[in-house]
Amino acid sequence: MGEGEGGGGQGRVGPDLVPPLPFIPSHEGRGVSYGRLSRMLEKNSQTLSFKYLIGVSSFMLLWNSVAVGATALDSLLPRSLPQGWVLTEGPRSYNPRTLFERINGQAELYIKYGFQRSVFAAYQELKRPENQIELDLYDMGNVLQAFGVFSRFRTEDRPGGVGLDSDLGDSSLLFYKGRYFVMLYATEPDPQVIKEFGRAVSAKINDPSGPPREIGYFPTLSLKPGSIQYFSESLLGLGFLKRGFQAAYREDTEVKAEVERKTNDKGKTKAENKDKESHLFMAMFEDGEGARRALKTYRDYLTNKGKLDSKTPQGLGPQALSGEDPYKGKVLAVQRDSYLVGIAGFEKEDDAANRLLEFIKKMR
Amino acid sequence: MFSKKMGRRKFIKGLSATLLGVATPTFLKGEGPLGKTEKTPNLEYRTLGKTGLKVTTVGMGVMNCSDPAVLLRAFDLGINFYDTADCYMGGRNEEMVGKVFQGKRDKVFIQTKVHDHDDKQMRQSVERSLRRLKTDYVDVLVWHDFHRPEEVSNEKFFEFMTKMKKEGKTRFTGFSSHSSMVSLLKEAAKTNFHDVALVSYNFTHSKNLKEAIASASKKGLGIVAMKTQSGGYKKGATGGLNPHQAALKYVLSDPNVAAAVPGVTSIEQIEECAAVMGTTISRNDLSQLREYQAFLKGRTCTLCGGCTGECPYGVPYHDYLRSMVYYEGYQNGTLARETLEGIRVSQVDGLCDRCPSCSITCLRGLDIKFQIKKAQEILIS
Repeated sequence: MGEGEGGGGQGRVGPDLVPPLPFIPSHEGRGVSYGRLSRMLEKNSQTLSFKYLIGVSSFMLLWNSVAVGATALDSLLPRSLPQGWVLTEGPRSYNPRTLFERINGQAELYIKYGFQRSVFAAYQELKRPENQIELDLYDMGNVLQAFGVFSRFRTEDRPGGVGLDSDLGDSSLLFYKGRYFVMLYATEPDPQVIKEFGRAVSAKINDPSGPPREIGYFPTLSLKPGSIQYFSESLLGLGFLKRGFQAAYREDTEVKAEVERKTNDKGKTKAENKDKESHLFMAMFEDGEGARRALKTYRDYLTNKGKLDSKTPQGLGPQALSGEDPYKGKVLAVQRDSYLVGIAGFEKEDDAANRLLEFIKKMR
Repeated sequence: MFSKKMGRRKFIKGLSATLLGVATPTFLKGEGPLGKTEKTPNLEYRTLGKTGLKVTTVGMGVMNCSDPAVLLRAFDLGINFYDTADCYMGGRNEEMVGKVFQGKRDKVFIQTKVHDHDDKQMRQSVERSLRRLKTDYVDVLVWHDFHRPEEVSNEKFFEFMTKMKKEGKTRFTGFSSHSSMVSLLKEAAKTNFHDVALVSYNFTHSKNLKEAIASASKKGLGIVAMKTQSGGYKKGATGGLNPHQAALKYVLSDPNVAAAVPGVTSIEQIEECAAVMGTTISRNDLSQLREYQAFLKGRTCTLCGGCTGECPYGVPYHDYLRSMVYYEGYQNGTLARETLEGIRVSQVDGLCDRCPSCSITCLRGLDIKFQIKKAQEILIS
């Protein structure tokens, strides 16, 4: 089909067309029922006043479609450029159908995060033409999704002071602000210039949204900086956990020292354990029932492929899950409202349980 | 959609049992990471063209995967071919592959990519990939996303790749493509520059592409298929059939394809894909698969960009179609609803199925009006 021909359907135009349909907003923004509207149309469609209404409404509809969420993305691109830089390519706009043309298969990731549209532009330094910067600005629909994509791309904690959070490297800057995720890549390392471009874009974004509130649930002690991520699917690589947050925690010094003592004569094991991380996670469901089902599935999964303990740590309640995941190590998980929260890959159960309880407390 | 003679239930039952190996006990016993006995797939290997690499027919497209557990599961299942790229997640994807396969490097084949830049930048890119992958070499280095036959026979690319081979940075080279694949494969068969071609190939593609793949394969090009699932439906959407496996099996039933690299993000998905290996496909199964293809035709949007026309009333049909892809393809109801939350729903949207002014058509025959109606019923009302 990829090599096929287009359908080529032509729109029918002629006097037998039904009149344009009116836009009648309801207080909920969803409109009146379609059936009711349809009956209304059938009853009144011949009257002159209705035709007038139709005309006005059609205009309103068109205006509305332009106005809603219609910040022209290219208006967010920097207009006054750093001295000696010029726009060499773009701006080019993309939507979910055309994003593949810009970033190929990676488009799928963005689409899974609710991608709406994007704009691309390239810049060049006149004196040194080898210095180029590519800028992609993505409208991800809301701040959670913008953060989600950002969190999947950022490599480590290298804050650049741009947007709500950013990752500044020698030749790259990623940041998110409001519903927008922005990527800048330079051909030559120059963090200052790339930051200047980033700040110019950030200043133009007027979205007042703060960071997703869930970020604040994660206890900060031993939290690996820049490790909080939002997944739109397959949290922990498990399809049944669906979407949610996770963050990495370093094992504390005491645990590290203990591990090192135990493995003193086994260099490799020692090296592996020094990097040991546990992961605190929060899977999000539509309701409590969804979270309960997921907990049951997790229990079944561990029974079949891992290990399920009969006891759970105090404070988490009798319904909590305790066991060993085949790839994550020790796991604790518990359902709270429409969430399934847990911690995986820890060494000491008490510490892990306390961290989990602190997270749950913050959720309230 | 199904003939009365066949019946949907019978079709699904037959296909599930014989084609997909769901009911047939085709699996060997194996041991999981915690020593538990579990089913493992019948590994199936093919030779990747003139490279001579013996790859598992089911590889893994790592692109959108961010969890090492999924890669480890794939490795435990016996999958030995992994596709990543320098640009996926800004390099983070390669880093994960490198970390997971450290100490296992000789047991896997790694394919990564490089983009067209000047010589210096391309070299930097390859060296960066090697550092991230924690290896001295990749097995296949692929030019990312060719569009024109001239690129396939471009000597500049060939020279660079030859250098990378001589320096031991890659064992074999190739190119990837998402479009104009027929002409690119024909050119590749002529020039003999490349060892591998990574191409989009699934049950929706044309006979021309199948023939081009056959012809390139005969010339020694190792064919790796990507985008093999083409927006399948969730289990049960067609009454119990598992379309992801069916779509994958369809691609692997082409002997000219050495391996497929379906993109997976979860342990369940990689297990599902791996289970396709070793299953056989009969003439009757193929006939049933064609019916399946016909069944899917017009039911699933693949976001291919093949829709033409605009709604005179401004109905945001793209958003409706996308929300249904999220809902039915990705099984993500939340994202589907969120997609539609951002749009202003007007009364005209609900009357699409009765509107004679509609000029929007889908290249693949998708009933767009029906999709809009379904999205409104499921996700809005």
